[in-house]
Amino acid sequence: MRIQVEFLGVSRLETGVKEIALDVDKGATFRDIVRVLGTRYPALIGNVIQPDGETLQAPNILNHNARRMVQASQMGDGPSDGDRIILMSMSAGG
Amino acid sequence: MYGYSGKILHIDLTTRKTRVETKPEAWYKTYIGGVSMASRLCWENIEVGCDPLSPGNPICIAGGLFAGTPVPVGGKYGMASKSPLTGFIGDSLSGSWFSVTLKRAGWDGIVVHGASDEWVSVFIDDDKVEFRNASHLVGLGTTETEEAIREEFGDDQVRSATIGPAGENLARLANVSNDGRKAGRTGQGTVWGSKKLKALSIRGTRGVRVADPETLLKLSYDILQAAQGPHTQKYRILGTSSNVLNMNRLGLLPTRNYQQGVFEGAELVSGEYLHEHYKAKTIACAQCPIACEQVGHVKEGPYAGAMGHVEYESLYALSSDCGVNDMEAAIQAIANCNEFGTDTMSTGVTIGWAMECYERGVFTQDDFKCEKYPEGFEANFGNGEAMVTLTEMIAHREGYMGNLLAEGTRRASAQVDEERGTETYKWAMHIKGLEAPGYDARTLKTFALGLAVGTRGACHNRTAAYDPDIKGEVDRFSVDETRGGLAKSTEEYAAVYDTLPLCKFIRRCFTGKADRAGAWPAIAQLINATTGWEFDYDDVDLIGERAHTIKKAFNIREGWTREDDHLPYRWQHEPMETGPSAGYVVTDEELEYMKDIYYEAKGWTKEGLIPKEKLIALGMDDVAEEIGV
Repeated sequence: MRIQVEFLGVSRLETGVKEIALDVDKGATFRDIVRVLGTRYPALIGNVIQPDGETLQAPNILNHNARRMVQASQMGDGPSDGDRIILMSMSAGG
Repeated sequence: MYGYSGKILHIDLTTRKTRVETKPEAWYKTYIGGVSMASRLCWENIEVGCDPLSPGNPICIAGGLFAGTPVPVGGKYGMASKSPLTGFIGDSLSGSWFSVTLKRAGWDGIVVHGASDEWVSVFIDDDKVEFRNASHLVGLGTTETEEAIREEFGDDQVRSATIGPAGENLARLANVSNDGRKAGRTGQGTVWGSKKLKALSIRGTRGVRVADPETLLKLSYDILQAAQGPHTQKYRILGTSSNVLNMNRLGLLPTRNYQQGVFEGAELVSGEYLHEHYKAKTIACAQCPIACEQVGHVKEGPYAGAMGHVEYESLYALSSDCGVNDMEAAIQAIANCNEFGTDTMSTGVTIGWAMECYERGVFTQDDFKCEKYPEGFEANFGNGEAMVTLTEMIAHREGYMGNLLAEGTRRASAQVDEERGTETYKWAMHIKGLEAPGYDARTLKTFALGLAVGTRGACHNRTAAYDPDIKGEVDRFSVDETRGGLAKSTEEYAAVYDTLPLCKFIRRCFTGKADRAGAWPAIAQLINATTGWEFDYDDVDLIGERAHTIKKAFNIREGWTREDDHLPYRWQHEPMETGPSAGYVVTDEELEYMKDIYYEAKGWTKEGLIPKEKLIALGMDDVAEEIGV
């Protein structure tokens, strides 16, 4: 299946791209997607993705279809064909 | 005492006399510093019920517990007075070397009373206080004033807090500036202007005594190391303005006076675009290893030379909220606010309201006459030059429109509705008179509650209730029974940081986790190494509850009622038509239910008043006597 992955903030700077179409196996989980992104863009490892290659470094987080923030406990869920995943760094205040 | 001098300096501008007040250690353990101590000083020194612009409203400054020590991000101070925008507590924070010199001069706090007949600056040279004529400084911008004072003394260790023309002209949106940082929101600079106080300068030559220097140094070093890692990367590289695209994707970016939550021009006013095209440098507050402040520089075009300190909250207000997709105009508008001494958020949101009034035919071009445009100008959304010009007019109260908008959104809409028989209050985006922040609350239900009950009005920094909504820890589109407790928890969490004060950007650098369990034990260690006290998790937690309670108590004494905990009309009655937030409002039923469960979680009455026993349990017996029920 094909999903759209959009990069915001630090992940955009590290990858140098705004958005990609990503082909993943049907049933791929959000954790699988993070793993694929880490492999394709090694610069994300250590900054956006933890050294294990499959866990996001807080406050980076995946957003699913501009609606749901994917919690750490939900990384075993996955998107559907045509869905949009946004990799963003989410925190505010100061 | 370690960490404190035990002394508060009182300065009377009317009599030009000073006095020193000593406070017992128990008072410091209760109010600590920052916004809590400043608000407490305001409670003790204000003439209850006074006009905020009268001599009876004191300027109360409270130092930071960690200012002048090695503790990272501890170089901040708090300031409080009765807000000219809200009529309730106006409490501000600012990171700056001013906070460090205040501590080194040997003062835990300063209370400025009365009012001067002539423009004055006050110079505090350790123990000595000098009243100086400031007429030659009138009209200067904020950084110009700081530089002029440093040159007068020939000493770059003299640090000043100053106001710009906006404060001088009593624009209610005025703030106080130091080292380019601002004690913003709620019109602190307007109170300074009402006292004809142009600047407060300090030279401090003493050290700060702490209980356990070795431990404090080690703790500070560990935090310093963590602050250079991934937890703060976003702030160091892009700054807060990277939130423009985040909020836009979530349908939360205030657009055209909060009519929409998705801005088609967001990429052009994003933090990423700023980084690529306009970033000149980053700046850090005193004692800060993060350096989040991104300085944007325009190199060519009509705004060539403009340099603005670009934060997210400044950027949404002076770009998308005005429908402007021109980063150069945004930088110029922000630079104007920085130098004129106006709050960028309140200024931008007030301009957004004026632009909507223009587009809906309430205002015409004639209403916008000024020296620069004698025939007036078109003030439609998207007009960057109109936005820039209005920042100038507001600060100088120029023309009909400048004078009107300098009053802030609530007063401006009330005046126009009375003059013209309109209902522009429906587009006035404020709570208690303070303009709304950069997160549309129609689909941030917990945050909506946090803003509605906020003691200083529509402030994201004091509630922090956006956190569970935005991070998806709760369903941001709906209301449930957890929101009262969440709003209480997040506002008191924020109040701990605002009281010490420590910048919240350090919150993940203690143990990697930003929650109480991750941060409070480490903060207790910092407090104990500084003061010699024996604070634990619960003591740290109480700092936040006490800080919030003294502010609430202040408001109750000034006449607060349950009806003051409201939301802007638009968020309750006008759903967006497009984007992820389309179709939602916060209904009356939702708001009133959330207020009920919030008051209950706080241990207050159904009317939002504080029981005496609650205040006594917090060690606030004298407050209980005055406002407890």
